[in-house]
Amino acid sequence: MSFSVLLIKILEYMFVAGWAGSVIVLLLTGYEDVGTLLDKEDEASK
Amino acid sequence: MSSTTNSPTGSNRVRIVVATSVMLTFISYWRAAAIILNDLGSSAFYACGIAEQAIGKSAPWFVLGVMLFAFAVRAVYVESCSMFVRGGVYRVVKEALGGTLAKISVSALMFDYILTGPVSAVSAGQYIAGLINDTIAIADAHGWVPVAIHRLFHGTPQVGVNTTAVLFALAVTLYYWRANIRGIEESSEKALWIMQITTVMVVLLLGWSFFTLAKVGGHLPPFPTLANIHYSSESLGFWKHSKLPHMFGVLGLIIGFGHSVLAMSGEESLAQVYRELAHPKLKNLKRTAIVIGVYSFLFTGLVSLLAVMLIPDDVRTRVYSDNLIAGLAMHMVGPEVLRLAFRAFVVVVGFLILSGAVNTAIVGSNGVLNRVSEDGVLADWFRRPHKKFGTTYRIVNLIVVLQLFTIIVSWGNIYTLGEAYAFGVVWSFVFKAVSMLVLRYRYKGERNWKVPPNLHLFGVEIPIGLASIAMVLLSTAIVNLFTKSVATVSGIIFSVVFFTIFSVSEKVNQRKHAHNLANMTEQFQLQLAESVERESVGIRAGNVLVPVRDYNTLTHLRWVLEHTDTHEQDVVVMTARISQFGAAAYSLSTEQMFSDYEQTLFTRAVSVAESVGKKISLLVVPARDSWSAIAQTAHNLESSGVVTGLSSKMTTAEQAFALGSAWEAIPEPKRQFVLQIVQTDGIVDTFRIGPHTPTMKNEDVVLLHRLWLNLTREPGLENVHHHDILTEALTRFARDYGARDREEIVKELKRHGADGGPTPVRRIADQIDTVQPGPARAERDDGPPGSKGSGAD
Repeated sequence: MSFSVLLIKILEYMFVAGWAGSVIVLLLTGYEDVGTLLDKEDEASK
Repeated sequence: MSSTTNSPTGSNRVRIVVATSVMLTFISYWRAAAIILNDLGSSAFYACGIAEQAIGKSAPWFVLGVMLFAFAVRAVYVESCSMFVRGGVYRVVKEALGGTLAKISVSALMFDYILTGPVSAVSAGQYIAGLINDTIAIADAHGWVPVAIHRLFHGTPQVGVNTTAVLFALAVTLYYWRANIRGIEESSEKALWIMQITTVMVVLLLGWSFFTLAKVGGHLPPFPTLANIHYSSESLGFWKHSKLPHMFGVLGLIIGFGHSVLAMSGEESLAQVYRELAHPKLKNLKRTAIVIGVYSFLFTGLVSLLAVMLIPDDVRTRVYSDNLIAGLAMHMVGPEVLRLAFRAFVVVVGFLILSGAVNTAIVGSNGVLNRVSEDGVLADWFRRPHKKFGTTYRIVNLIVVLQLFTIIVSWGNIYTLGEAYAFGVVWSFVFKAVSMLVLRYRYKGERNWKVPPNLHLFGVEIPIGLASIAMVLLSTAIVNLFTKSVATVSGIIFSVVFFTIFSVSEKVNQRKHAHNLANMTEQFQLQLAESVERESVGIRAGNVLVPVRDYNTLTHLRWVLEHTDTHEQDVVVMTARISQFGAAAYSLSTEQMFSDYEQTLFTRAVSVAESVGKKISLLVVPARDSWSAIAQTAHNLESSGVVTGLSSKMTTAEQAFALGSAWEAIPEPKRQFVLQIVQTDGIVDTFRIGPHTPTMKNEDVVLLHRLWLNLTREPGLENVHHHDILTEALTRFARDYGARDREEIVKELKRHGADGGPTPVRRIADQIDTVQPGPARAERDDGPPGSKGSGAD
């Protein structure tokens, strides 16, 4: 396996694993975002 | 020198109070979102077109993916802001990886900022040129173009799109260069207004597009698989002749993602606006992040998808690849004239938002270089203020020259510009995310929020979310190095040049600063104070505050000192150390707060005081906005007056209005004061800031007196006073205005205004009188407010 292929394989794994983790981030922060939006406290700062 | 300044220690050194807390005006999350979206939203006008040229028709899926991923990237900024109030790239990288990598990250950021201008200006030019050409073509199709003109142009007259775009871009850049040299103010009000107009366009665009889709139907773009990604000859860069991009499926996705990543440029602004967000800051930052995330997903993401679905392939790639939204407007269902009108509206909005991005690029770059200069990594020569306008014109010149060079070299090729732009965007994100990952282990201070999820194994925290985001960014950035040859070469050259300048400057400045520090220690004694208080400055209430900025224009200071008995009334000379928009991510150290420029400024101020033989107190205040800093300092120091020079870009009334507006923003209870503006020709305009007794017209005084006479004849009202009548009248007025007669009152007041000449629109600060120079001055010009014999009140 050449260096280029090895590098690309590593980059591909990083990208796929990173996206999988990012989707979890999106789900968790999205859930939190709903709470933030529904929280009417401090709306005066609008 | 000791005779001219308050020095409690009795030493020969001049004591200067340096406030360490920045005086900021706080903004709502809506305004913060508008500021960010002016940059982030502008990429909707060109991102998908550039991506499609690189990877083919499946580009909208990648743009949507980037906008989705941008939600996750926002979480990184929220975490960094929860750690540092100024949580931008430079600060975070410096904390995590040290000064060298911080300089490299700033070089990448500068590449991003400097390219924002050309890419936005050229894109706006492309939209305008496209509109001109299509309008002429439609007119020609209807036979409205005279035959002679037709013959002259050998067909339908058309403007050269790239040439027009370049000329427009040069003109816009030069316009904002002039504006920045003159020192225009960044306003969240304007950003909000632009975003309101943009929102109208987005709603119309999406609504009309979905209606068109329902009427004529459409096909989703091909899904992003290796078979559907069609690389252009330029999109593989150094891998142009390699088989590698065609061998790996996921690599194709990374290449596509890398060509679309510029769609999320502008997210860095999230860290910059954080300092200015109103309480509760973190919650409002999250709200801002939600607003920009949803907005940019709908605007940039959905509009890209709809454009590819509704515009036929051959027309889209041939005519509208550089002005995709205009193409979308022209392919809706409906009369041609209506579509053309809507396209014109798209062009106007594009012009506003993209031109705004040009200004943001100059202001942002200026801010970054200013802070870097203050950090000692750029020669102080760059920070020398313009003689007339007081702006850092050398930095602005440098930025604009680089931008003009970029525009001319690219000659309107938006694809090349966009590709190069992505280099700066992605690498500044990489530095940020990797640094945040390092700080998870190195930073032990306060952290109010963390990117989820985080696993705990054997007492060690594993930041899965943060690491995931960093991995996507890093893999994309590395692949971009191979696939974007122009961006890689130009980005590396640019970054190396800037890094070298920073490093050499730092070495030179270290020696120079050591010398200056020794001089400063001999001359000035810095006393740090958390906030500006009368006690910390060592002055009495009723003092006169004299803001100074440019050491070439200290006429007003001389005027104050000549007219003030400093035994009776203290004179405080203050300078606001402005932390501009785009630079808020950078911290100010004492050396930055009191750099060699402030030394020169205060040395001149002290020599003016020495020449008059009066005492002054010196104060440095960090601030986001000079007017807020003056108003808050006057309030905190219980000043009876503020005396300032005439601004080079504002009239006295505008200056008074600006200070009045800043005063209005201070929470109650607050004190009123008098503002005097000393002009170079000796004329002094005086204004009252805050609520005050109005100047009454003679007939109103007569009417009031007549009413009083009549009322005192009523049984039981013998002891009524004039002020009782005014109180009753105003109470009734307020009641009527608040309820039933509002419109009638407004109409009446407008009529009064018309009868009595132009009604002043700006009434926050009322002018009292104007003192003329010359012989009359001796009688009328009694000196600063509160001074002996002052006639200000």
